[in-house]
Amino acid sequence: MKTLSEWESKRRLADLPYPREALTGSREEAERFVSALGKPVVAKASGVAHKTEGGLVRFGVTASTVGPIWDQLAAAGDGKVLLAEQVAAELELIVGGYRDPSFGPLVTIGIGGIAAEIFGDVVALLAPPEPGEVANAVAQLSGRKLLQGIRGGPPVDIDALARVVDTVARLLVEDPSVAEVDCNPVMVCQGAPMVVDALVVLADHASA
Amino acid sequence: MSLDSLFKPRSIAVYGASATDSRKLGNTLLSNAANGAGDVVAVHPDAAAIDGIPAVAKLDRRIDLALISVPDKRVEAAVADAAAAGAGAAIVLSSGFGETGAAGRVVQDRLVTIARSAGMRLVGPNCMGVVSHLGGDRWLNGSYFWRIPNTAGGLSFVSQSGAFGGMFFAHMRASGLGLSRFLSVGNSADIGITDALEWLGDDAQTSAIGMFVEGIGDGRRFVDVARTITPRKPVVVLKAGKMAAGAKAAASHTGSMAGSHAAIRAGLRRAGVIEAADTEAFFDAMDAAAVGLRKKPARNIAIVTISGGPSVLAADAAERAGLALPTLGRATIDRLRGLVPAFAALGNPIDLTPQCPIDNFIPAIEAIYADAAIEGIVAINCGLDMKPFGTGVARGVAATGKPTAAFVLDAPGVEAEMAGAGVLRFASPERAVNALASGA
Repeated sequence: MKTLSEWESKRRLADLPYPREALTGSREEAERFVSALGKPVVAKASGVAHKTEGGLVRFGVTASTVGPIWDQLAAAGDGKVLLAEQVAAELELIVGGYRDPSFGPLVTIGIGGIAAEIFGDVVALLAPPEPGEVANAVAQLSGRKLLQGIRGGPPVDIDALARVVDTVARLLVEDPSVAEVDCNPVMVCQGAPMVVDALVVLADHASA
Repeated sequence: MSLDSLFKPRSIAVYGASATDSRKLGNTLLSNAANGAGDVVAVHPDAAAIDGIPAVAKLDRRIDLALISVPDKRVEAAVADAAAAGAGAAIVLSSGFGETGAAGRVVQDRLVTIARSAGMRLVGPNCMGVVSHLGGDRWLNGSYFWRIPNTAGGLSFVSQSGAFGGMFFAHMRASGLGLSRFLSVGNSADIGITDALEWLGDDAQTSAIGMFVEGIGDGRRFVDVARTITPRKPVVVLKAGKMAAGAKAAASHTGSMAGSHAAIRAGLRRAGVIEAADTEAFFDAMDAAAVGLRKKPARNIAIVTISGGPSVLAADAAERAGLALPTLGRATIDRLRGLVPAFAALGNPIDLTPQCPIDNFIPAIEAIYADAAIEGIVAINCGLDMKPFGTGVARGVAATGKPTAAFVLDAPGVEAEMAGAGVLRFASPERAVNALASGA
């Protein structure tokens, strides 16, 4: 199994909605990106899995603070640092995909956040999903009401979520070398899903 | 692919009955087979007859179905004998093959090769056999089960577990529902559950299908086959091994969180197959499917009762199952007001009360059935054996065809009226609701 870096993973899944971001190769490049964006960013080490657990994700990074943070994260990863527009989300989801030896490629939709593993609120569907299946799958989640709008907020745009799921499904169906996909978290901002982190895992040998 | 010679054989050969000890399993199989299906012959190295049935040393004629129950070391020769004689299908009930490990698997693969090269279908090994209604009062019992139900009906059942087959037959005896076909597939060396499902989908005698599943090896094909059947015939599945830990150390959160059961669940959902959570729910949903409760999905139901507490339990179950309990129409309530005591609760549940004049049960229940807002009925009667309560339900079903499930306790007269109308009674108020919900 080979895990692609976040940046490479996102290139494989080019059609997903991402925050504005850049893979920066130097402090100067990083400072230029943050200044041009004009708002705080998230800085993430590159080429490392499970970055949150390793303390390799920093929030609220500005043009004046990015320098030293860039040095630390570059040293902890592959020498580059991923900078992304910081998004305010009302809900976190997880969208993924994997292969079952009998049922072939599957895609999953789950409730994300820090308690995701505890609740294990995930539903799988055969890839590629057929029309209406994503909406039906969401209705199977225990936390389905979270997607219907929190405290008067907008509901999750199910069509947009279905497009995220379709993109993940298409990669698994079209590329037999892809073993697993993990879009975690998928931040929902004003109802619109935005993929903040993505991971593509390749199998050692291409298999169906 | 035809499994006619398996489910509708006109001639049978049985391998493995003892000439000296009629208590052997093979002798049970022989007498079961001889007790219904037409032409039966035993195959035995030196006996001329076993338990009154003629025997031959080698099969000397074309037959439809070979039943093989010899010790594992002699199975290969028996399969070859049946294949050489041109048998249409063979069931190997004997154990000691793929389920024991790699060496057993090698022999099992040879059995498949022998069968396929002769154009013979193979069921098993390591299974309990076949039971099939052949029409009229004729039954095929090509199984080790010495007690099988003899009520014919539209329900067929396929099992990957022989022992669960025993639980199935015990349930069928208790429910009194009618059977069409039963097949225990064992190790599924050749014929698996998908093959059986495909044949049952086209079987005119089968109207509903139950399956006990431990694993589905050909997932996508199963989905493709099942989804062509479920619009015409309900398919209900009980999957064992749901909690088996996902052995894969997934790099992704979703892969490990979804668990090993997620793929089967996704497949069953796409195929329109009803998946039951446990044994009780499986038999309830299967019974509901067998009597056609699924033909008209009911989301808006009325709970009709004379028993307060149990009907509240039913209402709780309805909410959990996502069913709605709408208020009856104005005209229905006005009609009921003239029939039931003033203190009767005419919300939903609708409590007619034990004090309802006996002659008014029938028109009151008929009025509830006729209400356009109501798609299905749960009838609950604990211990008030006033036959008209049952008659009202029976007439409501006859007039409207609305799906109905009941919980009746100590009211044999009421129960008989309902049974006469084909209304299923369940073991608790909640199970009656859940059975109705399984079709919604």
